Amino acid sequence: MSDLTISRRGLLAGSALLLASTALPTIGFAQTPKKGGRLVLAADSEPRNLNPAIVASNGVFFISSKIIETLAEASFDGKDGLQPRLALSWEGAADGLSVTFKLRDGVKWHDGKPFTSADVAFSALQIWKPLQNLGRTVFKDLAAVDTPDDLTAIFKFAKPTPFQLIRNALPALSSVVPKHLYEVGKIEENPANNAPVGTGPFKFAEYKAGQYYRLTRNDAYWAKDEPYLDEIVYQVLPDRTSAAAALEAEEIQLAAFSAVPLADLDRISKVPGLKVITKGYEGLIYQLVVEINHRRKELADLKVRQAIAHAIDKDFVVKTIFLGYAATATGPVPKNDPQFYTADVPTYPFDVAKANALLDEAGYKRADDGKRFALKLLPAPYFNETKQFGDYLRQALAAIGIDAEIVNNDAAAHIKAVYTDHAFDLAVGPPVFRGDPAISTTILVQSGIPDGVPFSNQGGYKNADLDALIAKASETLDTAARTELYKEFQKKVAADLPLINVAEWSFISVARDTVGNIANNPRWAVSNWADTYLAG
Amino acid sequence: MSRLRRFFRTPEAIAGALILALLAAMALAAPLLFPGDPQAIAGPALLPPFQDWSLPLGTDRLGRDVLAELFHGARTSLAVGLAAAAAALLIGSVVGTLAGFAGGLIDEVLMRITDAFQTVPSFLLALAFVSIVGPSLGVVVAAIALGAWTGPARVARAEVLSIRERDYVAGARVIGMHPLEIAFREVLPNALPPVLALSSVIVAAAILTEAALSFLGLGDPNRVTWGGMIAEGRTVLRTAPFLSIVPGVALVLTVLGVYLVGEGVVESTAVRRSLS
Repeated sequence: MSDLTISRRGLLAGSALLLASTALPTIGFAQTPKKGGRLVLAADSEPRNLNPAIVASNGVFFISSKIIETLAEASFDGKDGLQPRLALSWEGAADGLSVTFKLRDGVKWHDGKPFTSADVAFSALQIWKPLQNLGRTVFKDLAAVDTPDDLTAIFKFAKPTPFQLIRNALPALSSVVPKHLYEVGKIEENPANNAPVGTGPFKFAEYKAGQYYRLTRNDAYWAKDEPYLDEIVYQVLPDRTSAAAALEAEEIQLAAFSAVPLADLDRISKVPGLKVITKGYEGLIYQLVVEINHRRKELADLKVRQAIAHAIDKDFVVKTIFLGYAATATGPVPKNDPQFYTADVPTYPFDVAKANALLDEAGYKRADDGKRFALKLLPAPYFNETKQFGDYLRQALAAIGIDAEIVNNDAAAHIKAVYTDHAFDLAVGPPVFRGDPAISTTILVQSGIPDGVPFSNQGGYKNADLDALIAKASETLDTAARTELYKEFQKKVAADLPLINVAEWSFISVARDTVGNIANNPRWAVSNWADTYLAG
Repeated sequence: MSRLRRFFRTPEAIAGALILALLAAMALAAPLLFPGDPQAIAGPALLPPFQDWSLPLGTDRLGRDVLAELFHGARTSLAVGLAAAAAALLIGSVVGTLAGFAGGLIDEVLMRITDAFQTVPSFLLALAFVSIVGPSLGVVVAAIALGAWTGPARVARAEVLSIRERDYVAGARVIGMHPLEIAFREVLPNALPPVLALSSVIVAAAILTEAALSFLGLGDPNRVTWGGMIAEGRTVLRTAPFLSIVPGVALVLTVLGVYLVGEGVVESTAVRRSLS
């Protein structure tokens, strides 16, 4: 399966995920990039810590990926879906115990110091492995990084680590920060976390809380003639309805990450001078998931979980809540993933009668008021769509006699309630698929994770078979065999339903016609934008 | 009877009473006209009003019947408004009576507490209270009452201060009634009318506060509220403005109705006072 080229990834995403899109992008006409200009765009959140090596999340990448670069970036047509950034090449040893990176020559930090393999070694050993939210799992067996010369970094692993996993992790997990700024003092408290210094095409200029972030051109960037833009300004617009108005008023030129509500896209696609772009997020797939607390005796019963799965009309969710900008899910790996996805899993078609029959079989008969049992439902507050799905799920459960009470929390309280206090029966969560199940997907079902780790299995689910499978896959070096194991993983998850995957979605950009080179890689919104330009 | 007639002499009062009667009718009829869960999905999503007569006001983003939500929302708005006002008046008059009647240290302490509550904007207080305790109908009522009882407390205390010097209070003391009995059986009932005159303002403010809390996502998510409906509709304001306009108009009318009735009551009592 790994021989699938990555243009397939784009193709699949285009057809499967975004087929129903009525507003087709008007990109693709060739034009020579123009230099200069200031790109103003909408930002909906204001991360304080802008260090992507510590906080590997899309909110941080959105800003800091222009300043701090990774070893490699995702690509539609590059080998293994990658294109070189700070690393020119990467080679895994057959025994899985080492990976050799050849680094780019002539790269300078924004403060003028040269970038060397020592920076990579420092970032990997001192930050990615011990501190980074995702790196903790992927680099857990990283023992040392050898630096025979300034342009070679050899990662040494204590246990065989699949090269496929390291490769898939490069775009999101390998942000390199300058050793000379981070080697003194505590890394978490370093001032450079709030005013990052990197090698990227743009330098951090200033941040005014509640107003904007401003980045300026790095004149000494390693790629000749790039970047094209002089400045990038992130205008903080926390209110989603104001982004559309700001675009129409020409106050901003770009709103990424679906800052314009889906329901507004149809209208805004008809506004002259604006284009709606559905590409450029293929590598940033969010999954709409019903998290289940298996400590509840009713929910520990497979029949009840199957009944809930049958009660959810996935097509309705995609059509009504996501207005077609999503795809129905079959399991824990999204349909558009070119390496691991398999459709050969148990499915749960929408069937209320069957769901009711399953609940009767499980011994939860309807009481006189038509209700079988009551439970607490906590929809994650991060997206409108997760909240709306919570409202929908309550209705879907009512149809099969389950009385769900919605409990709303703000983001911090939600994370505490679900992942630390386990004060939920069902929760609606949006985990992210990051190109490899081992990065952030297997921990959703794996047992033995300490309390308080967000976006992990905190539902008390324990399945020795699945745990063994996950452990085996994490040390299988052969790409084909590893891929097979993850297909088996998808089957088992879909059969036993530790959680219910409902849909997978990504984001939409709206931009003025003048913005060029948009969406030219699968993680465009969180890539470095060195080739983005403003025409006319 | 004559008082009622005086009340209905002003057109404002008639209009206000009509609006409130209509609302009360809506609230009472909601479970009969729209039985079952008003949040159930009833049709295609985002159906504009007046297209399908089985869904006269159209549907929202999930396909829920806007008219059913409007009727059930009236229940929540009125229930919260009345309950919060009743609670505020009760707390306020008890605190005011105790302070005014007891005087001295108790008066000082109670009035300083009242001051403390009065200096915090009542909406912020409600916001903080709900976000800590967690949103549910009872909590919302308590949160609103918490910010609204200071007005009645001050008015009650002022009234009690003048009443406690009257002869019948001295008489009650002489026959050996317990001070608390005097305060609540002799003084409070006579201090109530000006306190009750505040009720319309409090009810109107409570309805608005409830709507604002729901708008910010701090209402009870398992109930339909007008504020919640406006918040839901806001994301599609440009494509389906009716989703925000319909509950918004209902909210305006309700507050207007309560206010007009309050004006009418004040007017009629003022006339009576000037006559006597």
